[in-house]
Amino acid sequence: MDGMAASALAIALVGLGLWTLVRRRNVIWKLLGLNVAAGGAILFLVAVAHRPHAHPAIAELGPGPSADPLPHALVLTAIVIHFATLALSLVYVIFLTERRHSQDVHKLEEER
Amino acid sequence: MSYAIGGVVVYLVLGIVGFLVRPRWLCGALAIAAGGASLALWAPGFPEAVLGGTGWGVSVAGDPLALGMWALALVIHGTALLHERARPGAFHPLLTLLLGTCLATVLSRDLFNLYVTLELVSLLSFLLVGYEGKSRAVWASLQYLILATVGMTLYLLGVGLVYGKLGTLSLSSIAALGPGLSAPAVAIGAGLLVAGAAIKGGVFLFGLWLPPAHGYATTGVSVVLSAVVVKMGVVVLARLSEALPVGPILVALGILTGFGGLVYALWERDLKVFLAFHTVSQLGYLLIGFGLGGPAALGAVLYAVAHGLFKGLLFIAAGQAIETTGEREIAHLADRLAWPTAVGLAVGTWAIAGLPPLAGFTAKGALTAGLLLPMKAVLVALSVGTAASFAKVIPLLRPGPKREDSSGGVMILIVVLVGFGLWDFASRPELRQLGKWAEAAGGALGGYGLYLLLRRVRPRLPRITLDRATVVALVGAAALAAGLLFLG
Amino acid sequence: MKWAAGIAILGLVVLMAMGTWSLFPRPDVPSWEEETTAWGAENAVAAIVLGARLWDTLFEVLVYAMAMVGVRLALRPLRQAEPQAPLPETPLLRRAADVLLGPIVVFSIYLAASGHLGPGGGFPAGALLGSGLLLLALAKGAERLGGELHEPALELWEYGAIALLLAVGGGVVLLGWRGEHVLLGADFLIAVVVAIGAWVVLHNFASSRGEI
Repeated sequence: MDGMAASALAIALVGLGLWTLVRRRNVIWKLLGLNVAAGGAILFLVAVAHRPHAHPAIAELGPGPSADPLPHALVLTAIVIHFATLALSLVYVIFLTERRHSQDVHKLEEER
Repeated sequence: MSYAIGGVVVYLVLGIVGFLVRPRWLCGALAIAAGGASLALWAPGFPEAVLGGTGWGVSVAGDPLALGMWALALVIHGTALLHERARPGAFHPLLTLLLGTCLATVLSRDLFNLYVTLELVSLLSFLLVGYEGKSRAVWASLQYLILATVGMTLYLLGVGLVYGKLGTLSLSSIAALGPGLSAPAVAIGAGLLVAGAAIKGGVFLFGLWLPPAHGYATTGVSVVLSAVVVKMGVVVLARLSEALPVGPILVALGILTGFGGLVYALWERDLKVFLAFHTVSQLGYLLIGFGLGGPAALGAVLYAVAHGLFKGLLFIAAGQAIETTGEREIAHLADRLAWPTAVGLAVGTWAIAGLPPLAGFTAKGALTAGLLLPMKAVLVALSVGTAASFAKVIPLLRPGPKREDSSGGVMILIVVLVGFGLWDFASRPELRQLGKWAEAAGGALGGYGLYLLLRRVRPRLPRITLDRATVVALVGAAALAAGLLFLG
Repeated sequence: MKWAAGIAILGLVVLMAMGTWSLFPRPDVPSWEEETTAWGAENAVAAIVLGARLWDTLFEVLVYAMAMVGVRLALRPLRQAEPQAPLPETPLLRRAADVLLGPIVVFSIYLAASGHLGPGGGFPAGALLGSGLLLLALAKGAERLGGELHEPALELWEYGAIALLLAVGGGVVLLGWRGEHVLLGADFLIAVVVAIGAWVVLHNFASSRGEI
């Protein structure tokens, strides 16, 4: 898949994820949408790093075009951060489910 | 450079060690001491250095903004530490790590490093907001988390675009490459970066998570969030405007958040949520100052420090009031506060109304010096509005029956605030003109008049829900990106 | 309100597409071989993550660790309030755990040691070890394993590893430490942090089930 196709896919994922985030009432669905959108942003960074017919930036793979290593490194960091945030938000959802017995945003929003 | 970065490393290490050591507040106190020593060594600033080599490394630099934020962070950490010193568990290590990361954020000049540190700041804030496990706070925290992630997703997309076009993450290199926003990728990327930072920073339409999060957290946490953490978003926006010509956008955002926050603050009845909406509004001053650049930016730095001090004081006093009386509504708190709390509230209100000789007055003076009339009018209008919304706090300033007051935090902040204000006042002869004093007093009285006028009015302001906040933030982001593309 | 959201998202997508269009064709990648070998690595990504941008990686590890602290903190009141029935044990899982655990541990140590030669660093090693512990937990019962793995010791290891990583980071950034041994040290420390963190998260999730 070349860079432009990957970027297009990434942008589509972001749009899809954000749409799910806004339209669904269940908190878990919202988090899923957010996850997909973040995945799209990460894919976008990788797509930016790609070059035509490139190999990864490993020294033994010889001459020839190589992909830009910096976005790859950024993406590693972004994935870890995103995973950690997602884990924490799921935990809060578990907490709220146990205490408020609902995952529906409209019910959670009502003052206790 | 080494002293500053070394100071950050020591701060973070002490934060981590704090998980293993009793008493819990000890490592926090040591961290503050280490931070203070580091600050003394690197003040007044250091030139840009690249951590890890020029090609891929992370740029850092020390400037007046970083200096002011460090000093503020250390003072606020000390205050919160004192106020919550008895709290067991992970609270103090988390607080230390949060402030250590803020120290790192203000030094950073790298697009991606700002993302990483901002994410850590947010994560630690989520934890602290939801710390006591009250459902309302946990829900506020979850809202914060979701909106913050939306913001950071947009920010990452912006990083992708800007890096893709310009090939560097270092803000100074981006500034050197110029000519700014002419490339569509950079313009749209800049719009997304600004939108992401605005959502993180709690700017009015973008960051509507802020009032519930700051309002429902425990007192020590609200103080740190409102005084220091909220400034991190503003710092990122200021750094972005150093690299890319987004100044006018910042000014527009500042005006938006200044008045938007005020509208909600004028009619908010819960004391802490009221103060939180005020924070949203006060960000307006900072954004306008940084957007305009030059001497106004320096004034904004002063205002950032001053705001941190008096907002911290207000939150501590408010927290004290709520804890001792069990009431959260402003109207019900009248005549019931112990005198130290009432004095604290009074000093804070005096400062936020911009009355001389306290820090609010001097910082506003620095900010408005040399501004053209339209902008000055905007700032004056904001001041009048601020005074108006605080008028309803005045009944609280009459102390009630004497009550035990155990917090020394209020006293520290009062002393520091008054001290800072007087020092600043003494170093600015132009503020001694009677005209300025009359201006400030007029603003305050005008505010009170406005309050009397508006007392009968009770508008139905739209309620802030997660979905609405998300949609508004996305609309704002799209508008920003499109705006920068077509007008940049 | 849904049309406002739709227009905003559509607008963002279109703007992103316009911006991305102008990024192609992509310029050449600047040379990275010298810098990579200066850091003692064989691939550029490891040189960046564990070397040039270690200042980023430190905060990333802190994000990960603090999220784990948060998971533990938030779920503790729930677990104490209502202890859950243990997960049913199956002989298949137990046999699988017996067979797989050894190779998992060995492979994760290998991954940690060679982390800087491949693009991952210590992260995949830690994730693998954490998942291995989860497999063990599912086989033996999460509560029993939780009791056997002494939690305060785990905390000590985790925070100790992070503190050491911060110190190493300080060394690299401030004192200019370079070389393969630095990368190796960072690899192992990160692997320890990730493994313990993954274990904490998986253990907590497996022992508390949110029921509406």
